[in-house]
Amino acid sequence: MIPQALIRNFPYLLRGAEITLLLSAASVALSTIVGMIVALLHVFGVAPIRIAVEIYLYLVRGVPLLILLFAMYYVLPYTGIDLDPLTGGILVIGVYYGAFMSQVFRAAILSLPQSQWDAARSLGMRRLLMLQIVVFPQAFRIAAPPFVNTCMMLIKSTSLVSIIGLWELTMAGREAVERSLAPFQIFAGVALIYFCMCYSLAWYGRYLEKRMQYVH
Amino acid sequence: MPFDLNFVIRNLPIFGNGLVVTVELSLLAIFFAMVWGLVVAFGRIARSRLPRTLASAYIELVRDTPVLVQMYFIYFGFAMAGFGLSGFMSGLLALSLQNGGYVAEIYRAGIESISVRQIEGGKALGMSPWDVMSLVVLPQALVRVIPPLANQLIVLIKDTSLVSAIAVADLTQTGKLLTERTAASYEVFLTVAVFYLAMTGIVSGLSRLAERQFAIYH
Repeated sequence: MIPQALIRNFPYLLRGAEITLLLSAASVALSTIVGMIVALLHVFGVAPIRIAVEIYLYLVRGVPLLILLFAMYYVLPYTGIDLDPLTGGILVIGVYYGAFMSQVFRAAILSLPQSQWDAARSLGMRRLLMLQIVVFPQAFRIAAPPFVNTCMMLIKSTSLVSIIGLWELTMAGREAVERSLAPFQIFAGVALIYFCMCYSLAWYGRYLEKRMQYVH
Repeated sequence: MPFDLNFVIRNLPIFGNGLVVTVELSLLAIFFAMVWGLVVAFGRIARSRLPRTLASAYIELVRDTPVLVQMYFIYFGFAMAGFGLSGFMSGLLALSLQNGGYVAEIYRAGIESISVRQIEGGKALGMSPWDVMSLVVLPQALVRVIPPLANQLIVLIKDTSLVSAIAVADLTQTGKLLTERTAASYEVFLTVAVFYLAMTGIVSGLSRLAERQFAIYH
């Protein structure tokens, strides 16, 4: 049995996949920046800042991404800010996943043994220098595998923006289904494309993890 | 923007209808995911190769594709094939299958974290393999997996919001329809968010309670 509907629509799906990749890359970049800032504030900030960070993390942990996307879509226009779905999607996903990224970075920073901090301080390093040449290089290596894992979750979550009307892979799949009336084939194809993106990342994450074991 | 509390109170029955659907879906999906996850986990640690390969392939497959696409696959696919499932059933199936894969990996990590000496001790007492598993390994493993399991269940509860995309009148869909009818988007989404926060809060609270309750092995 040859999946003809899928073959016919595959180029169309690939164009959707392009948007998904673009959206994912931009969201990963934003969430990494947000995550790093939040992690530093969480670890080094004064009490009120730490509390603010905790609240942000609590909200993201407890509220579905879809609700925030709907809020962006339905509520923001009333405040006079009208974002196009792509910018809005990147913004919401970036800020949402920034919370997960911050947890990854924070755990990595906190996992450094106390002796590293003590040694750096006893060499007379200022905090900024200490972060720059002692903490970050080691923390990044520790954070790499869970970072890749979070990227994978983010890619899967980009499928939600199709619900608020952004044309990407999942939406392209729905349109292809409406035309071809072959939902099993088309959605299997869509799933396959997502699988290729996520599985390659998962594989890379496992490789990083294995490489780290040799270091220690 | 002033918050119109009266609007929320007036529409509480409408929110309630959606909330009931979301809670029902969450509880059923949690139950099936936890049971199915155990089956997959046993496949993953089985001695023979076939169930191990099948379980690994299954876990990769469900974890590396978006749950929304899985829902569409089930909802539109079965409808076209002639035995359509309702949106609720499709959502329940997709959520149970995907989270079953995640939960299986959590169980496996828990089971493998139990020391070999525990198993040897059980065998030395003349227990059958089944008794070793059910009386020695699983009770200890289940206590250890409470925190990651609770995390996953929170993700599951949040993911139930996706069934609004396949025409289920859950909390999210109710909020969306209410917004479109009344234009009180600010109030609606804040209320919906609070309901979700309450549900996920209950799960994390219960998990902390359970952790303290069962922490007798340490």
